[in-house]
Amino acid sequence: MSRSPLISMHGIVKRFGGVTALENVDLEAYAGEVLAIVGDNGAGKSTLIKILTGVYQPTEGSIKLDGAEFKMANHSDAIAAGIDAVYQNLAIADHLTPPENLFLGAELTKSFLGFPVLDNARMRQEAERVLSERLGVKLKSMDVLTESLSGGQRQAVAIARAVYHTGLRVLVMDEPTAALGPQETARTLKLIKTLREQGLAIILISHSLDDVFDVSDRIQVMRRGQRVGTVDTKDTDNAEVLGMIVGASAAA
Amino acid sequence: MTDITMPARQRSIKERMEPYMSIIAPVSMILMIVLLMAILEPARYFRLSNLEIILLESALYMPMAMAMTFVITQRGIDLSIGSIAALSTICSAFLMKVYGYPAWAGVAIAISLGACMGLINGLIITRFRVPDLIGTLAMDLVYRGFALVIAKGLVLARFPDLITDIGRGRLNGFLPIPVIIGLVTMIAGYFILRRTYFGRYTVAIGSDPQAAELTGIAVDRYKIYAYVLMGAMAGLAGVMLLGKLNAVQATSAPLFNLHVIAAVVVGGTSLFGGRASLLGSLAGVLLLSMMINALVTLRIEFFWQSVGSGVVIVTSVALYTWLQKKDRDGSAGGLMGLFASREAQRLIKFTAAIIGILLLLLALGYFGAGTPSRSG
Repeated sequence: MSRSPLISMHGIVKRFGGVTALENVDLEAYAGEVLAIVGDNGAGKSTLIKILTGVYQPTEGSIKLDGAEFKMANHSDAIAAGIDAVYQNLAIADHLTPPENLFLGAELTKSFLGFPVLDNARMRQEAERVLSERLGVKLKSMDVLTESLSGGQRQAVAIARAVYHTGLRVLVMDEPTAALGPQETARTLKLIKTLREQGLAIILISHSLDDVFDVSDRIQVMRRGQRVGTVDTKDTDNAEVLGMIVGASAAA
Repeated sequence: MTDITMPARQRSIKERMEPYMSIIAPVSMILMIVLLMAILEPARYFRLSNLEIILLESALYMPMAMAMTFVITQRGIDLSIGSIAALSTICSAFLMKVYGYPAWAGVAIAISLGACMGLINGLIITRFRVPDLIGTLAMDLVYRGFALVIAKGLVLARFPDLITDIGRGRLNGFLPIPVIIGLVTMIAGYFILRRTYFGRYTVAIGSDPQAAELTGIAVDRYKIYAYVLMGAMAGLAGVMLLGKLNAVQATSAPLFNLHVIAAVVVGGTSLFGGRASLLGSLAGVLLLSMMINALVTLRIEFFWQSVGSGVVIVTSVALYTWLQKKDRDGSAGGLMGLFASREAQRLIKFTAAIIGILLLLLALGYFGAGTPSRSG
């Protein structure tokens, strides 16, 4: 592959006191591509993406964005650079409508008697536009409370929020399908493909190899804080990846 | 690009009724009162003058119910509003009566003092992490104590026209001014809830404080705002009461807390946060005033009011909790479930034991009774 990665991590080491969570890990993510990260519990996936999204600082190693050194002091720096994550337990307020959630903390306003007041109509319109144009999602109603939406729809709202506000380039999804039924999972995977078509670099963490083989372009396997290897999805199969996860291929 | 239309989950009738739920409970209770009074005392209850009494009574509680809606929606509570009203009014009454302050300054100072006390509440809750229930309950004692210290046993009476106008005046000799003030604060509250950052974040904070924090909302600041609004509205209500009675003393407004919280909760604003209904609060205020007025019309002793308010609160909260539980997990239950399990049978035995002991004691006392001595 001759093109250069949108974001890359080099020689990342992370120690918590005496415990080494990550040992010299690399990662490359390309625009318009889904990189899946798989590995057993405690393999270091979560730590790795928390460093990628600025939540943790690496003990050693560097991150490059567009080929240039990129340092983050906190999560806000990551968001400002267009790197955001959608977590399993979504930061969504159940008692607000989807547009209200989408714009939570960054509301659109208009002037009323010289004071800024919330422009609910415009937020509703924009939310509808972002959801349908960027995510290909249509909700039946924009006026229901988010608590009455399904898990997949709530996730779509969370993703729409990330897409809309950050000029998103790198989207990290941590176990997006873990809590979803089969139909909802299919929709979320379709949503991931839609976002990939738009040139986003997507990093997908998942325990479900079915999902990984469905949407990913490359698979990075982690074990005990190290990268075991990265394989092209089309050149591998379930058994090989599973072997890498549990360390069988190394033993064989 | 592919279109994924996500069908909305099949919505039950209950879910569809959800937005109106908050209004259904108080309105149906209002209808019950109307029906009851139509049978018992139609002549005296349905007079225009009586309607006005009801409106005047409820107007006093509207500003506070509006503010309390915000506080409760954020999962907070304020048990100090009666004392805030009393202390801020006592201070401003002293300034007017003893130091000759003009009436307009007295009004503005009472409201600002109320806001300051709300600010203190807010700071205690957010900075020192004192739970709101304890924090405001303790500050209730503090504010009431100060009011007693300042006013001693004095009753300050006879205030300028502006004050009495606020409490019982009429615009153009027709529209009662306190009712206008009450409705204006309610409408302003609706605007604040729907159209300002404060209103939006109030719902977000009550819905999920952690999510709100993650989104970058200054949770503590917006909590403080709610308590400041609450304090200011309590100060305003204090002035309205002062004008209504044209007098004030340190023990004024003892029942504000209960009454206002009752009205808001009856109106469907959830104690568990996130659900705000100003229309419901308005209906709740009207309901309580109508109930109290009905008791008065029926010449039932004043003390029954307290019984009535308490029963209304418990009934409505139980009702809302039951409704919500049903649409969460679809469990049938309610009263029938109460007798089904073994655990329930233990509870029944326990209850029977307590009642039994009480009856036994009453019987023992009866047989051992001598001639009663007069008390006092």
